Amino acid sequence: MTGQEFLDVLSSRKSIRRYKPDPIPDEMIDMILEAARWAPTGENYQPWRFIVIRDQETRNKIGDLSKQGSGSRMTAWYCLNELQQRFEGIEDPVKRAEVLEFMYSGRVSEFCKQAPVVIAVIGDLRVGSVDVPYDLCAAMENMILQAHAMGLGSCWVYGPVASTRDAIRFKEILGIPQGMGYYKVLSYLAIGYPKEQRKHPRPKLPLEEMVYWEKFGNKERI
Amino acid sequence: MDSIKYCNEVMARLETLMYQELSGMAYWKCEFVGPDFIRSKNIEGKNVAEITESCIKEITAAGIAKGIEYKTGGDGMMLKLKVDGCMHQEKEALVRAEGVNPYICPVANMVLDMIHQKLKFETSYLAKLAIDEKTQRCLVYMALYETADKIGHVTDWLKDDEDLAFLKSQPSQILAAADRKKK
Repeated sequence: MTGQEFLDVLSSRKSIRRYKPDPIPDEMIDMILEAARWAPTGENYQPWRFIVIRDQETRNKIGDLSKQGSGSRMTAWYCLNELQQRFEGIEDPVKRAEVLEFMYSGRVSEFCKQAPVVIAVIGDLRVGSVDVPYDLCAAMENMILQAHAMGLGSCWVYGPVASTRDAIRFKEILGIPQGMGYYKVLSYLAIGYPKEQRKHPRPKLPLEEMVYWEKFGNKERI
Repeated sequence: MDSIKYCNEVMARLETLMYQELSGMAYWKCEFVGPDFIRSKNIEGKNVAEITESCIKEITAAGIAKGIEYKTGGDGMMLKLKVDGCMHQEKEALVRAEGVNPYICPVANMVLDMIHQKLKFETSYLAKLAIDEKTQRCLVYMALYETADKIGHVTDWLKDDEDLAFLKSQPSQILAAADRKKK
């Protein structure tokens, strides 16, 4: 694979939130997990642990928690007239109202109920690593890219564990030991065959706006 | 030793360090900062108003704040506090001096915790913390969801709000940059 081919894989990825009901073969799940295993990890501690969830009832519980997490925040933002400002760019008032309702109802985060596979990414805080959150993020990214490379869609979902109370509930659902010193719940990955064709690529900032050379603020390549 | 000053300095360091590590996510992680005090008290009440009043009584008696007014709205889903003379004002100033908008309000967390514990509300959210440095007054807006089906029920919380002008001058958690507005 050339550098450009790899970049094509990276730049063609998009978050997928609508999935076909088709089951994901075990071989594909194993490859996604294997990709996570090869993520960079400080001093090779490998603090990550993964919980693969296919049970519909469990996914429903996680979906409800996700919906509740996002919805509780966005309802408040709407009631404070802040969420509306984020969507002022949608000119059609009917469309704008639909989008806003989709957001503040929390339905925007409920989709793991339809994802055939959900993988919770958690970190063992007792292994001695000082890099647990960063290692977990690297593992998550590897899984996302592996899924994409195999034609699957995925979405990194943080909603159900954003607040500490919700993270405790998330642990309860999956039987993860409670206690602040045991396991960190990073988030979960919803995976399935894509049902949607999203507009792509979404606009990205040009490199000139984010890259400095040698010193902060210096945009001239030296 | 000025133990309150010491406490605020420690809290401010933790609040800014946590923001440095987690960015805006830190806002959502700190709901258990503060409630230990109120859990040690005998808070009683059958509804939000009674629980809030019981909390205010304990908080002011302990000198954590000099005075707290509250009002409910939004079909019972909004709880607004006006907190005067909070002992954590110095913490807020230290946090702001580091370029961080203060996001941890132990007083709000106490009230929310008791609403969860005593009334078994499904969830809640500390939606807005606006601090007036001149008057040493904090405005706190909280969302209360007795049941999950309350999520998505929207009303205009700021209609007829006497603090609207000040509130609009305060930073938003989700509109920190103009380009967050969807194009």
